[in-house]
Amino acid sequence: MKVSYSWLQNYFEEKLPESEKISEGIIFHSFEIEETEKMGNDVVFDIKVLPDRAHDCLSHWGIAKEISAIFDLKIKDKKYKIFEPKPTELEIKIEDEKCLRYMGRMVKNVEVSESPAWLKEKLNAIGQKSINNIVDAANFMMFDLGQPIHCFDLDKLESAKIIVRNAIAGEEINLLGIEKIGNLQKSRSVLLSQNDLVIADEKGPLAIAGIKGGTKAEVDNNTKNIVIEVANFNSVTTRKTAKKLNILTDAVKRYENEISPELCTKVMDAITDLVFELGGGEVEDTIDKYPKKVEQKKVSVSINYINKRLGASFSKAEMESVWKKLNFTYIVKDGDFEIEIPYLRIDLTGPHDLVEEVIRILGYDRLEEKLPEIKLESKMNETYSKMFLARNKLLGEGYSEVMTYTFRDKGEVEVLASASDKKFLRTNLSDGLRESLKLNQLNAPLLGMKEIKIFEIGTIFKKGGEEMCVAYGDKKGIKEMKLNEYAESAKLFLNGLAGVGDPENRGPEKMTLPMKFKMWSLFPFIARDIAVWVPENILSEEVEKIIKENAGDMVVRGPELFDEFKKEGQISYAFRLVFQSFESTLTDQEINDVMTKVSDKLKERDWQVR
Amino acid sequence: MNEENQKGKEHPLSIVINSAVMIFTDLGFEVVVGPELEDVWHNFDALNVPKDHPARDMQDTFYIKGEEGKVLRTHTSNVQIRYMEDFAKSGKKPPFAIISVGKCFRNEATDATHEMQFYQIEGLMIGENISMANLKGVLSHFYKEVLGEDTNLRFRPSFFPFVEPAIEFDLTYKGKWIEMGGAGMVHPKVLENCGIDSEKYQGFAFGPGLERLMVIKYVMPDIRDAYHGDLRFNQF
Repeated sequence: MKVSYSWLQNYFEEKLPESEKISEGIIFHSFEIEETEKMGNDVVFDIKVLPDRAHDCLSHWGIAKEISAIFDLKIKDKKYKIFEPKPTELEIKIEDEKCLRYMGRMVKNVEVSESPAWLKEKLNAIGQKSINNIVDAANFMMFDLGQPIHCFDLDKLESAKIIVRNAIAGEEINLLGIEKIGNLQKSRSVLLSQNDLVIADEKGPLAIAGIKGGTKAEVDNNTKNIVIEVANFNSVTTRKTAKKLNILTDAVKRYENEISPELCTKVMDAITDLVFELGGGEVEDTIDKYPKKVEQKKVSVSINYINKRLGASFSKAEMESVWKKLNFTYIVKDGDFEIEIPYLRIDLTGPHDLVEEVIRILGYDRLEEKLPEIKLESKMNETYSKMFLARNKLLGEGYSEVMTYTFRDKGEVEVLASASDKKFLRTNLSDGLRESLKLNQLNAPLLGMKEIKIFEIGTIFKKGGEEMCVAYGDKKGIKEMKLNEYAESAKLFLNGLAGVGDPENRGPEKMTLPMKFKMWSLFPFIARDIAVWVPENILSEEVEKIIKENAGDMVVRGPELFDEFKKEGQISYAFRLVFQSFESTLTDQEINDVMTKVSDKLKERDWQVR
Repeated sequence: MNEENQKGKEHPLSIVINSAVMIFTDLGFEVVVGPELEDVWHNFDALNVPKDHPARDMQDTFYIKGEEGKVLRTHTSNVQIRYMEDFAKSGKKPPFAIISVGKCFRNEATDATHEMQFYQIEGLMIGENISMANLKGVLSHFYKEVLGEDTNLRFRPSFFPFVEPAIEFDLTYKGKWIEMGGAGMVHPKVLENCGIDSEKYQGFAFGPGLERLMVIKYVMPDIRDAYHGDLRFNQF
C-alpha cells in the first residue's frame, strides 16, 4: 500500500524522524517496504502490509499508529465537527446477515465541485485520480482510515429507502468507471446471482455491496443531495463475489481482509466533517443499523508466558511500555496482564499473539542466540538413507547426478491453471534423463568426459500415487527402478566399501572449501586435437606447457592428454583443447590460426606434429 | 588418464542438502520425509491457513485436476503435521526435533531467482522450553557452519499462519544482508490440530529455501540452471 510521509505527518504534532528512519523503523518492527519514492517534497513508501494486519493497517492511520508505537510518538487528538440533530427521511433495511452494519446519512444541498489542491495532492501522491470533491472525500477517507465509503445521488433513488439484500438471480448492474472491453472503452455491466449482496433502492441494485458502485446513483456535477454509506460486510462472501466477478477494488481489498464494524462510527464522523468542509450542505441525522454489536475482546497473558516463549527475561515495566505504546488498555490481575484488545486489532486473539507484539516492538535484535539445552537422539530416515546409499553407489560407478523438471507435457497427473505449458507431472525419470544425456553428450568435450554417465533420484507421479525412483544411464541405454529395489542392490555393493554408505561418515567438509561457481559461456565451443612425436625422454608435461602457453585465452578446457604411445625411441602425445568465448561465436578460422601457432611452436623444437 | 573422470559428480544442491542434514543431525534432529503430492489438510488446514482467506493466495498453489483436495505441496511444512500426528498417536511425549528436505512447488512465473519447483529445508523442534532464542541459536549455528563464522543473522516481523510470532530472517554474507526465509514459534492451533498439548509444549519451526543458500554459497547467477540436467552445473 502506498503511504505518504506528509500525510502521516498530519497525525503528529512533533516532526517525524527523517523518511529513512521511518522506513527502517517500519521494516524492523512492522512490515517490509517494497519501494520508497521521492515525490516533490513528499516521500511515498510502498508498504507490504502483512495479511494479518490488513484488518487495521491498510490506511495512513494504521501506519501512523505503528509509527507511534515504534518511535514512541503521540498521535494528535482529532476532533470532528458535531452537527445539530436534524431528523431524516432516510430509511435503511438490512435483509441479510452478510451485512454486519450499515450507517447512512443524508446531506442535502451540497455543492459538487473540483477538489481543493491539498486533497488532489494527497490522492495524487498515492496514485489516485481526482474526480470531484465528494467522490474524492470518500476515497481519501478510505486511504486515511481504512474504511471504504460510498456516496449515492439521493435524487436518482426511487425513494429515500436503502435496502441491503441478496441479488435476484439474473439481476444486472451497470458498474461505475470505464473499462476496456475488447476494443471499446465503456462501462461494464455484470449479471448477479442470489449469493451476491447488493445495496438497492426499491426498484433495483445501486451497488454490489463492498465491491463497486453502479452508474444508477452516481454522484456527478449536477448532484445536489447525497447519501453517505459507511458499512461493513462479511469478508468471505465479499471476497467470493469479487473473485467471481473479477473485480478487485481497494474497497474489496479492505473488506476481504475483515475490518471491524466498530470502525464505522469514527469514519461516519470523519467523512461528514470532510464533506461539509468541502461542499457544505445540510447534514441530517445518521441512521445506524448494527444488528449484532461486536464484543470487547480481552486477553490475559503473564510475564512468564511471554518470556518462556521468547527465551528472554523482559521486565514487567518493559512489557507495560509495549502495551502503552500500542495504546492498549490493561489491568494487572493476579500478576497477569488483562488486556482490552482494540476493536481494529482483529489479529490479536490469544496470549501467543501478545508475545509477538512484545518482541516486535522491543525489537528482535534483543533476542539472544541460544542453542537448546535438551539432549536429543538423532535418527536417520529410511527413505533418506536409501537415497543416500543409491547416490553414493552411482557416484562411485562414475555416474554424475542431475536434477530435471517434475513438470512435463504429458503424464497421468495434471495440474490446474499452470503458469507454464507443461501441465503434467512426470511418470518416469527416464524421459528427462534422456534429454539430459543428449545435452551433455554434445558438451562432452567441454566437460572433459569420455563418456556421459548420469543419474537422477526423484519422485514420479502416476494415477495410483507418487513414488521415489532411481534412473541411470549412458549411451547404451537408461535403466529405471523404484528406489527400494535399487537400494537393495546398492547395499550389497557398499558392504564391500567400509563406511562409504554411512551418512554419519560424510560430513559437510565439502561445503567448507571456498568454491565459486563459474557460469559457462552461452556461445558454441570448438574442440581440437593435436598429436606430436617427441623423443622418448620428453615428458608430456613439457609438451603440455608449450601448448598451454601458445593456445591463447579462449581455452576453456585442456590441453588434456588423451592418448600416448611409444614407437622406435619416440613417443606420441595427443592432447585435446576446447575453445570457447564468452563474447561471441568463435570461427574456424580463428581457431585454425591458434592451432597453427601452437604447431609452429612445437616444430621449433624439431618435433613432428602429426 | 584423468582420475576425476572415474567418479561421478554430485549435483550442487545435493551437496548443500547433505551438509544441512549432517549439521542438523549433529544437533539431534531426526531426518524425515513426506509426500510431494499432498492433501489440503496437511498442506493448509492443519497449518492454520484459513479457507477463503487471502492468506491462501500468498502461495500460488498447484491444484490437481480431477482430484479434489489434492495439491502439490507449497512448502515442506506438511511434514511437520504428518510427523506430529503420528507422534501424538504413538503416545510419545516431546521433546523432539525433525529436519526434512524436499521439493516444493509454486505456480508462478520463473525468473533468475524463482522456479516452479524448489527445495525447502524444514526444521521443527518442540519441547517444554523451546524458545525463540533457541530458534535464533539454531539458525545462526547452521548458517555459520555452512557459510562461515562471519555470518550474522537478524529477524524481522512477518506473517505465516502456522507460526506466532512469525519472522523473516536475513543473513549478512560478505557484508551484505540477504533475505533467507521464514520461521517462528509454532502456532498453538497447529500443535492442537496434531494432538499436542499447546499449554505444556512449545517450539519453533523454520522453512527457508535451499536454492538461495546454494546460490550464495557458490555465487551463482541463476537458479534455473539447477534443473536443466546440465552437467556443467556440477562443478564441485
